[in-house]
Amino acid sequence: MQLVRSCLIAAVAWLAALPALAQGTISNLPRNQTLIVENPEGTIKNAGWFNIWAINAGGQSTGLHQLMMDTFWYIDPNRGVDGVWDNSLASDKPKYNADFTEMTVKLRPGIFWSDGVEFSADDVVYTVETHLKTNGLRWSAPIQVNVASIAAPDRNTVVFKLKKPNSRFHALFTVRWNAMWMMPKHVFEKAGDLLKFDFNPPIGLGAYTLNSFDPNGKWFIWQRRPDWQRTTVARFGQPGPTYVTYLDPGPPDKRVIAQLNHELDIIHDTSPEGMFTLAKQAKTSHGWFKGFPYAHPDPTLPAVIFNLQNDLLKNRDVRWALALLIDIKAVSMASYRGAATISAIGVPPTGTHPDYYQGPLEDWLKAFELDTGKRKIKPYDPTVGKQIADMLRPSLGDQVPSAPDQIARAFGRGWWKPDPQAATELLQRAGFKKVGGKWQTQDGKPFAIKITVEGEARPVMTRAGSMIAQQWQQAGIDAATTVAQGTFFERRQTGDFEAIISWSVETWGGHPDLSFFLDSWHSQFVVASGKPQPPRNWQRWSNPELDKIIEDVRRVDFDDPKGVELGRDYLKLAVREMPIIPLMSYNVFTVMDETYWTGYPNAETAPYTDPVPNWGNTKYMMVKLKPTKP
Amino acid sequence: MTSSYPAYLLRRLGQFVLVVFIGINIVFFISHATPIDPVEQTVAAATQFGATSPEAIALMRQSLRELYGLEGGLWEQYAVFWQRIAVADFGPSLSAFPTPVSVLIRRAAPWTVGLWSIATLISWSLGNLLGGLAGYYPRSRALRAAGAVAMALHPIPYYIVGFVLLIVFGYVWPILPITGGYQINLERAFDLRFVASVFRHSLLPALSLILVGLGGWFLGMRSLVSNIVTEDYVVFAELGGVRPRRILASYVMRNALAPQVTGLAMSVSTIYTGVIIIEQVFGYPGLGSLLVYGVLAGDYSLVLGVASVSIIAVALAVLAIDLLYPLVDPRVKAR
Repeated sequence: MQLVRSCLIAAVAWLAALPALAQGTISNLPRNQTLIVENPEGTIKNAGWFNIWAINAGGQSTGLHQLMMDTFWYIDPNRGVDGVWDNSLASDKPKYNADFTEMTVKLRPGIFWSDGVEFSADDVVYTVETHLKTNGLRWSAPIQVNVASIAAPDRNTVVFKLKKPNSRFHALFTVRWNAMWMMPKHVFEKAGDLLKFDFNPPIGLGAYTLNSFDPNGKWFIWQRRPDWQRTTVARFGQPGPTYVTYLDPGPPDKRVIAQLNHELDIIHDTSPEGMFTLAKQAKTSHGWFKGFPYAHPDPTLPAVIFNLQNDLLKNRDVRWALALLIDIKAVSMASYRGAATISAIGVPPTGTHPDYYQGPLEDWLKAFELDTGKRKIKPYDPTVGKQIADMLRPSLGDQVPSAPDQIARAFGRGWWKPDPQAATELLQRAGFKKVGGKWQTQDGKPFAIKITVEGEARPVMTRAGSMIAQQWQQAGIDAATTVAQGTFFERRQTGDFEAIISWSVETWGGHPDLSFFLDSWHSQFVVASGKPQPPRNWQRWSNPELDKIIEDVRRVDFDDPKGVELGRDYLKLAVREMPIIPLMSYNVFTVMDETYWTGYPNAETAPYTDPVPNWGNTKYMMVKLKPTKP
Repeated sequence: MTSSYPAYLLRRLGQFVLVVFIGINIVFFISHATPIDPVEQTVAAATQFGATSPEAIALMRQSLRELYGLEGGLWEQYAVFWQRIAVADFGPSLSAFPTPVSVLIRRAAPWTVGLWSIATLISWSLGNLLGGLAGYYPRSRALRAAGAVAMALHPIPYYIVGFVLLIVFGYVWPILPITGGYQINLERAFDLRFVASVFRHSLLPALSLILVGLGGWFLGMRSLVSNIVTEDYVVFAELGGVRPRRILASYVMRNALAPQVTGLAMSVSTIYTGVIIIEQVFGYPGLGSLLVYGVLAGDYSLVLGVASVSIIAVALAVLAIDLLYPLVDPRVKAR
């Protein structure tokens, strides 16, 4: 009996100890010195390829561009460690001549490649000249279009001569997610055919070097350089983690399980439901916002993008009518389960944009009048953000902020009031008729509109599209969604859609300059129907007034306050014309576990950078992280 | 039989070549009919986040088209494709350019083949053994219960079983790894530690395949045995006092196994159904993940490569069974 009892106790103890055996997912590395991060690229099929300049050949956000690459400047999508703009490899901001045909860059001295060679202007000249003479590299095309020549008058200065005036040429070397990275001349000049050179092991300027990687592409481990003081982030202190592992944890449910088991410190993105589960069950997990909506609003603006080359949608009244048939509260609930940050105007409500745009334009929006043909209405409802917060508070309690400024930051400010009567008047003015409860176009055909959505690859946006189609259907329009799946980009680029849920507005986030997307909206780039449209004017909007704004932006300096004024002019024009219906920022449910690491960025007390870990800007997160179990 | 075997061999080899030729042609034209353009996928990926100049995009498109070898019509690409197939080269992957497709397949194939072969052998052996016993001893309560479990599990899709196992052993009682092929940062060497890690990581995906696959073999074998036990030679053996164990092994199971062996060869195709799904669920680094990735990226070189290998593998397995049957089973004559 004694023996049986002992065996039973031993068995129970063994079974209880099994979960502990399942922990320790990384071999031979101290967990308390290792940060484990999700790589949203998934499993890298070509894992041993680190030549990031060869387009689409290997992984990028495997840690390669966050921890190992560097370039002249970074703009933070939030507030920045020491301001939004950071001179990284450059020691100062770009200096242009009067007509923006020449850009001079002063380099920071004392920066070394990970193999001990000092970085210099020769590396910059080599990088640019290599892209000038080699087709098919990631940045060959923009360099060949812009650069006439480059020279290095001394070891720490480079001068670019441009083929034509370009006041935003520095954007090519300014990280917003990524930028053109510097190549180590001493490695690449011996490499032969650069398009076939795998750059394994990589040599970089960042504070980390490659430790090991899985040949099947599931994980990559990076190790802090012993000479991290000779890298650009050293100005902000020592990077906390000794090791950083980027891995593919699988679909959203597995990411949640991995973090509940403390085997994944940073989830790049999960579903709203996954976020809510973690918020409820894991005391050590938190998002960008302390409470609801948790997610980080990326400087990207999902919208209903109309194809303005479609005859039915050329009429502004039709587009406005469709906007007034949307109940954004229901769209917010359907897409993000309420965790959306809405915007009525054409910039995402994130970073510093609310200070430059949403806030200052609030009075203009309240006063904005829309002529329906029968009367003038004021369509803007400044209380929609508050209404969403009030709607969620009974079920989520204190998780939902109550201070007006916090609500504005978390849920957005106002949006357009659903107004079926005004929509009816606008459609009637456009020559449409309602017969038997169904709208007909001017020629008596049913008013049918398909909203193209991406499908399961982007469920949140797909749900938004479905809800909008449902609302338009209820108003008597023959609306439906069409799921594009893998053909989504193809269809968006070739204009094979009537309306599509996507984004044509992306911004720096921290900096108010809008040229990042707006320059591409000039009518000079709009192509004929059926031909591939260059990013990002997917709506193919041509407008002389907009062209004038863009041309004025091109003539002013990047930091000139006039740029903000011109940005507001664009926003007012976009409200009047409604080429796209802005919905909300692209909220990313990045979840950070504080079991092993603390010091992550957050909206309330540490908005120093974007926590979304596939951004190149997350190199600044490393210097803020501290181990909880040193 | 002996005299006609060479003719039979030639005929079967001819059929094999024809099947492979037709199959690969179908895959070529289907994969090239995809509306997904790899150049546009690359452009979208390259311009999705960073700064882009519209003027540069046209130049980028042209460079990529030349680089990927997509210039020229469908028939030119078809001719190049068969030239490459002749030397077992599927060309460069378009989504991991310039790495050859054959390198990607070689890297992924051992994981899929290993997972499939172990899972299939276990489910085939166990399913046939239990099914045979259940057919021969129809009154056994334990075997009837096993039959009920097999019938219940068999129609459940692989991914449902996979998700249940994942939640039970990954979260509720987290004793097994739920992703990857082996422990992170473990040196890939043929030592006990690495093999043990591969084994642990394969347990949940293999168990998903075994639980679902076992039911099919079980039910098939039970039906076969139920018919065979009524055959005259079995009845005579019983009347002749042959021991039941010998009747089961030599008279019943052995005769019932022939169609099951054919089924085993045909089940190579499940690599591309069940295993693909399970690899996705468990993040297992195999051909399934590679194929899905290729389809989504519009990388028809990769899709063609994986699909061609699958066609050849299934056709080869069936050919091997066809050629071996006349040698081992006298009832099958080479006609």
